[in-house]
Amino acid sequence: LRVPLSWLHEYLDFDLSADELVDLFSLRSQEIDGVYRLGVSEGEVVVGEVVEFGPHPNADRLFVAKVDLGGREVQIVAGAPNPRPGDRVPVVLPGSVMADGTKLREARLRGLASYGMMMSERELGISANHGGIVLLDDSYDVGRPVADYFPVGETVLDIDVTPNRPDLWGMIGVARELAAILETGYRTPEPTYVAEGRPTHDFGLRVEAEDLCPRYDLRRVSDLEPGQEAPLIVRRRIYAAGMRPINAVVDATNYVMLETGQPIHAFDAARVREGIVVRRGREKEKITLLDGSTRVLDEEMLVIADEERGLVIAGVMGAEDAEVGDETTDALIEVANFEGRNILQTSQKLGLRTDASGRFERGLDPNMVDYAMERVCALLTQDPGGIPADDTLSHYPHPVEPWRVPLRLVRAELLLGMPVKMEEASERLEALGCEVEREDGRLLATVPTFRRDLRREADLVEEVGRLIGLDKVPETLPAVPQAGRLTESQQQARSLRRLLADLGLAEAITYPFGPERWTADLSMEGEAVGLENPLSVEDGYLRTSILPGLLDATARNKAFGARGGALFELGNVFLADIPHDDLREAALRFRMTGELGAQEAGRLMGVREASKIGVVLAGTVRPAGWNVPEFEAGFFEAKGLVERLVPGGRFVPATRPHLHPGRSAAVLVGDDEAGWVGELHPEVAGRFGLEGWPVAALELEAAVCRPDPEPRFVPFVNVPAVARDLAVLVEERIPVGDMLRSVLDLHRSLLAEARVFDVYAGSPVPQGQKSVAFGFTFQGEKTLTDEEVDAEVGRILRRLEDEFGVLLRS
Amino acid sequence: MSVSERIERLKSEALSAVASGTSTADLEDVRVRFLGRSAELTEIKKSIGALSPEERKEVGRSSNRASREIEAALGSRTEEVAARELEERLQAEAVDVTLPGVPFQRGHLHPSQMVIDDVVDFFVGLGYRVAEGPEVETDYYNFTALGIPPGHPARTMQDTFFVDEGLVLRTQTSPMQIRTMLSQGPPVYVVCPGRTYRRDSDPTHTPMFHQVEGLAVDRGLTLGHLKGTLAAMARHVFGGGVEIRLRPSYFQFTEPSVEMDVSCFVCGGTDPDCKVCKGAGWLEMLGAGMVDPGVLEEVGYDPEEYTGYAFGMGPDRMAMVKYGVPDLRLFFEGDLRFLRQF
Repeated sequence: LRVPLSWLHEYLDFDLSADELVDLFSLRSQEIDGVYRLGVSEGEVVVGEVVEFGPHPNADRLFVAKVDLGGREVQIVAGAPNPRPGDRVPVVLPGSVMADGTKLREARLRGLASYGMMMSERELGISANHGGIVLLDDSYDVGRPVADYFPVGETVLDIDVTPNRPDLWGMIGVARELAAILETGYRTPEPTYVAEGRPTHDFGLRVEAEDLCPRYDLRRVSDLEPGQEAPLIVRRRIYAAGMRPINAVVDATNYVMLETGQPIHAFDAARVREGIVVRRGREKEKITLLDGSTRVLDEEMLVIADEERGLVIAGVMGAEDAEVGDETTDALIEVANFEGRNILQTSQKLGLRTDASGRFERGLDPNMVDYAMERVCALLTQDPGGIPADDTLSHYPHPVEPWRVPLRLVRAELLLGMPVKMEEASERLEALGCEVEREDGRLLATVPTFRRDLRREADLVEEVGRLIGLDKVPETLPAVPQAGRLTESQQQARSLRRLLADLGLAEAITYPFGPERWTADLSMEGEAVGLENPLSVEDGYLRTSILPGLLDATARNKAFGARGGALFELGNVFLADIPHDDLREAALRFRMTGELGAQEAGRLMGVREASKIGVVLAGTVRPAGWNVPEFEAGFFEAKGLVERLVPGGRFVPATRPHLHPGRSAAVLVGDDEAGWVGELHPEVAGRFGLEGWPVAALELEAAVCRPDPEPRFVPFVNVPAVARDLAVLVEERIPVGDMLRSVLDLHRSLLAEARVFDVYAGSPVPQGQKSVAFGFTFQGEKTLTDEEVDAEVGRILRRLEDEFGVLLRS
Repeated sequence: MSVSERIERLKSEALSAVASGTSTADLEDVRVRFLGRSAELTEIKKSIGALSPEERKEVGRSSNRASREIEAALGSRTEEVAARELEERLQAEAVDVTLPGVPFQRGHLHPSQMVIDDVVDFFVGLGYRVAEGPEVETDYYNFTALGIPPGHPARTMQDTFFVDEGLVLRTQTSPMQIRTMLSQGPPVYVVCPGRTYRRDSDPTHTPMFHQVEGLAVDRGLTLGHLKGTLAAMARHVFGGGVEIRLRPSYFQFTEPSVEMDVSCFVCGGTDPDCKVCKGAGWLEMLGAGMVDPGVLEEVGYDPEEYTGYAFGMGPDRMAMVKYGVPDLRLFFEGDLRFLRQF
């Protein structure tokens, strides 16, 4: 809500700068989104009378005037052609500062001296109109400050009203709130007028949809002067509050809405056939609104109609048909209360949110209708000169009465953590409009109906607490009666992330949704879960793998000139797990009410989540240095990470459609498949925009990664170990890993360590064979003799000969 | 030539050879030549038995003295030469120390995760446990159990991603609080970090973001406990000097509800042109409040016996403020130019 401070001053007196007001309101009530200024922020605007007006001799689009400022005549250059000699105009004097910060100086414009400026409505902050200079009527005395008549500058606070406080959607509500904060009083205007207009009961009123319309009041205001503009003070307030002045009747309704928070609608009585009907929309009923759009209604939408056609989508927007216009002389004024949730739904369905619907959707106080009706009738007697009828047609079958809420002081002190005195609590609640009865240790508040949010003790505690001031609440710490800890899986996730970062990878967090092709491009198994309302079709499906997000990021890095990179992400993947048809109803009940029945929650969720760790190594992960070779992405680089993450994991050649068929493996932990590692299939790399780059990736169930198992001490003897190498020739197809495992499995071996330090194929190794060189370390209970070591190497060689047909390489 | 004369000659030859030796290898040759097994002096010592007793005594003494003198000369000369040789070798081995070393690449943790870990560690230190929950959540846990039944206006404030009938991507981490309370009785002290989702995309909103929420339910918990806890956390994350303030606010599942501002940890409110707080002196940090009695009832806790507080913060936004990142979208693009800065 935009609150012009000069308007607020009508209801209460306060002497605070805008900054002080912002601080105070923020700390005691609502957040202030911004402070705006309009018109002239410093300096003086006086009433001048145009003496001469004519074209500027040196410029086509400029004019020059002689203006009497009350005893002295000045020359002013103008950009607008409208003033005539004898017109009274506002003149801002040199030295003044405009709202946008520009400072006015005595100037020469195209060779002519110009003293100050004659002002448009926009420059004065009256409206957006910049088409001409404001012409003041004869009631403005020449030479007097314009500020004697209306403010020439305005400060506007933009209050971010929370949804529980519809009472703050009007100036009076804000004034009441500020008065409560400042512990002072406020006043509301007393509407007075003579009610002898033509009777409202010439028209009928029928409320058919009572459930959607708790209250509907209708009153006629006749004898309006057509084509009137609202008084300047009304227009400038409406404009400062962020709306557009339209005509005297509409402006009166908007003014009262801004003042009270109650939306009001005015019909041209001449165009209403017989009477007003409040009913649900009819199927496929169409209505053409004021904004020119034609909307199709449904039976859940509330319509204000006459006996023949729909006139307004209730609480949202009116149709062109019966709107008041420049020719209106006789109006029907609607002040009503609609069911908030229904207005919200209608506004959402139509994609149409208006000042009125935004207020109704929060749920307004039906008792606000009376004052708003009185107030708008009083305003309509002014410039449009209307005469209200002395009868009001009212439908209000179930009047809302104030309710009573008790507040125990001990409870207030417990929740707030500070002392609360009976007197203080009572006064604070009274300032908000409650009637308070004091009892022993508690008070009983009768809550005004405009505070629908105050229903329970805790609600009153909040009001008392914030008005006393949350700064008075002391800072203390509770004595927590338990030891804090991370769960095992949380600890594990954290150690995995830190490990990969320590190994030089960068942690990414990517969106878990993407296009359907994500799954297809990767030829992943498992059914992806779709979103019903994605941001775009490119974000329509939840990921079944961490990989695609990392690949997209990698492609992006490539596009921005990276030579490669190593990214990892730890996060959830989502797999469809649709409950059987016979569980569908149980699933829906569980999802909506939390009721489980006999089922396990997991079977009713419909989606299975699994925590995965994904890594993408791409391109040149680290370029060559002067002393180190470059580190390129490849199968063994990725495999090395898996070996670090899952010590003891096994690798079996097993390919997946998205991986290079000859350079990929399944990772087994025990007998369970825990994930995969491999180079990306070049076609898949191409689809992700990574052609030309080597890309290796891995994905593992986070739960199986145990990079640092709990240590267990193994005793050792203080006897030197002996190292030996062995090079053999073997058929190229034989997996070296199998050879290595076979060697390590030798029974009662003295072998302490075995590694592969060279694998070579090509000349001089015979075609179809490869040379494999092993390095062994032997360790005995006592120092090993050469003969003993020879015997061990011999056993190893024989095993390799028997199992793999190797030849000792000489 | 007498034996003694031979000894004298050998000695002087040896000493001059030692003196002219310029490398440890030369000197080793000298040692072998004059003191080795087949050296002349050694031969003289071996043949000593054939001499007369007087000669034996004389030759023995002089040959031993000659040996000792040669040894001593060799020793000191070798030491000298070795020292010079070492010096020369070290000089020859000198490298350009300004060349880069062998790289041990530094990795990077995600800035949001760093803040989450930091906040979680703080609360674990106070005795809180850490909850977990699914990202695809039911309508009940995400909304209804938190006092936001179907049709409630607050639902429209959170642009929800719908997955299936009654299933959403969680819009907040609060459902974890409900799950925690349903699975145990009071006292509860728990923090719930996680990814959350809303249908929104601009420089300050991304469709995925993180939250860390906390919940404490026990006998006698007050707004003062909440305030003290949040103040201590703010000092843990942003430095010991920061102050906090509470402002009234509105959340569906707390009453009273507050928002917490942290005093600007860069300028402390003294710099009107401060880039971090934009001159306001305060940074909006999180929402919190006393747990609504309706929420306690929903999970079967007696609101007369137990009170509690809850708070929720955005670690992404905290990271933006802490590290000076202007655009939230950078957090989720996997851009190495961004990630490498953390």
